[in-house]
Order: sequence, then structure tokens, then C-alpha cells
Amino acid sequence: MPATPAETSVVEHRIRIAAHPETVFSYFTDPTKIVHWMGTEATLDPRPGGACRIRLNEASVVLGEYVEVEPYRRIVFTWGYEQQWFSMPPQSTLVEVSLTPEGAETLVVLSHRRLPGDLAAAGTRAGWSHYLPRLVVAAAGGDPRLDPWQDIDVVVQAVRDVAESS
Amino acid sequence: MEVFEAVAQPKRREILRLLAAGEMSAGDVASRFSVTQPAISQHLRVLKQAGLIAERRDGARRLYRVRPEGLAGLHSFLTALSSAALERLKQAAEEEERVGARDASRN
Repeated sequence: MPATPAETSVVEHRIRIAAHPETVFSYFTDPTKIVHWMGTEATLDPRPGGACRIRLNEASVVLGEYVEVEPYRRIVFTWGYEQQWFSMPPQSTLVEVSLTPEGAETLVVLSHRRLPGDLAAAGTRAGWSHYLPRLVVAAAGGDPRLDPWQDIDVVVQAVRDVAESS
Repeated sequence: MEVFEAVAQPKRREILRLLAAGEMSAGDVASRFSVTQPAISQHLRVLKQAGLIAERRDGARRLYRVRPEGLAGLHSFLTALSSAALERLKQAAEEEERVGARDASRN
């Protein structure tokens, strides 16, 4: 495990899902299910030291390893990019997912740790919720070759607001 | 140079927008701005190192164009573990249990 750099950030998401922890758990460990919400192709070996490789699109592949797999309660895996994106090489960051049953629902808390403490982290934190629906629309149809004009416009707007607010 | 850092600079975003409309030479780009040609060349260099634009030579001229795959990287970084992705996870998991409950009630 690489030493934690002095300046890193954490991004945390919380979401309630009207499903059992067992069901939600499978969407982090079953390669045919994870692609329902992230990426187009996945190789997952959900046990400590097992590979977690997810092709997000033509240009980017996430590469990491499962660190902890506690059925239906907790999943921890490392996360980085095979390509040289964002000072996040394979295994350089950590994703922790906890699943807590709350009545008929499951509370999912996803923390992304050790993000490099630069604009990328600021963007990660501030950019998601506000801009992502628009980015997703820009990429609608699942065609990874984005329309450059439309996408630049959206991305540039998002980055400007993030840069100015950080 | 990081992609985010490259795009965070306002002048470079303007250059990206300009090049998204079509390939241009460094001189053409510079003529649209009130800054010096060396300053524009520096911005173009940064954008190129970040993988956001590509350069080719045409005689003595250097021509620049946008690289869509450079943006695809930025796009997937922004979207991978986003609230939009988690919203899709929510829909998929809830749909699975709804279908399961329907199947169980049929038996």
C-alpha cells in the first residue's frame, strides 16, 4: 500500500436504496451487474487481493484490488486509472462502501479517499451532483466518442465553476 | 500537466472552444486574442501535453485540433463514482427486487 500523501481529499456520497443489502452488495461484486451502473465491461474477483478492473469507456480503464470484502456490509477496494489521468495511477486511491439495513432500505455510504489534493479533488467534490446529470446527457446513448463541441461546453462550464469556487 | 489543471485556466478553455469548431493554426488562434503569440503557444503546449488537443505540421504551419478521447478521460473521471452513477445503482437494485417480488408472488 503506497504511503498516504500529505495533502489528500475525501469525497463521500450517501444514498438510500429500497432493496436489501444482499442485492446492493452484488452490484459491487458481480461483473455482470456492476456494468448496470458503471462502465461497459468488468473483471471482478471479490476477495482480498482480487482484481477489480472496470472499463469505463474506450479511453479509460479503472484498475484496483479488493482490500476488504465483508458480505452484505462492507466492501473496500483500491481505485486508479490504467491511463495517466489525474495523478491517479492504479491502486492509488481507496473506495470504501458500507451497507447498513434501515427498515426495508439500505443506506449506502461510499467514501473515495486519498484523492490527490489538487483541482481534480476539488472537481470531484464540487462537480458531481450539480453537473453530472448534464454530463450524462451529453454522453447519452453510451457512445464513448463524445461530440467534442457539446461536451467541451459542458465540461468547461463545470470546470470553471469548480475552479472559481475552490 | 493534469487535464483538470489545463482546463482550469480561462484562456485555455476559450482556445478549446475555438478549436472544437475546427482545426486552426497557432497564428489563427493568436489572432482571436489580445495576448502575445508566445503566450498562446504556451497555452497550446499545455493543452497538447494534457492530451486535449493534437498538433500536425502543414509546411511551416502547425495546425491544432481537439482530441475527443482527451475529453472522454475527463468525462469518465467525473462520472465514474458520481451521484448519477449511484442513482443508476439505486434504480438497478430496486428494479431487481421488484422483479424478484413479482416472480415470488406468482409462485
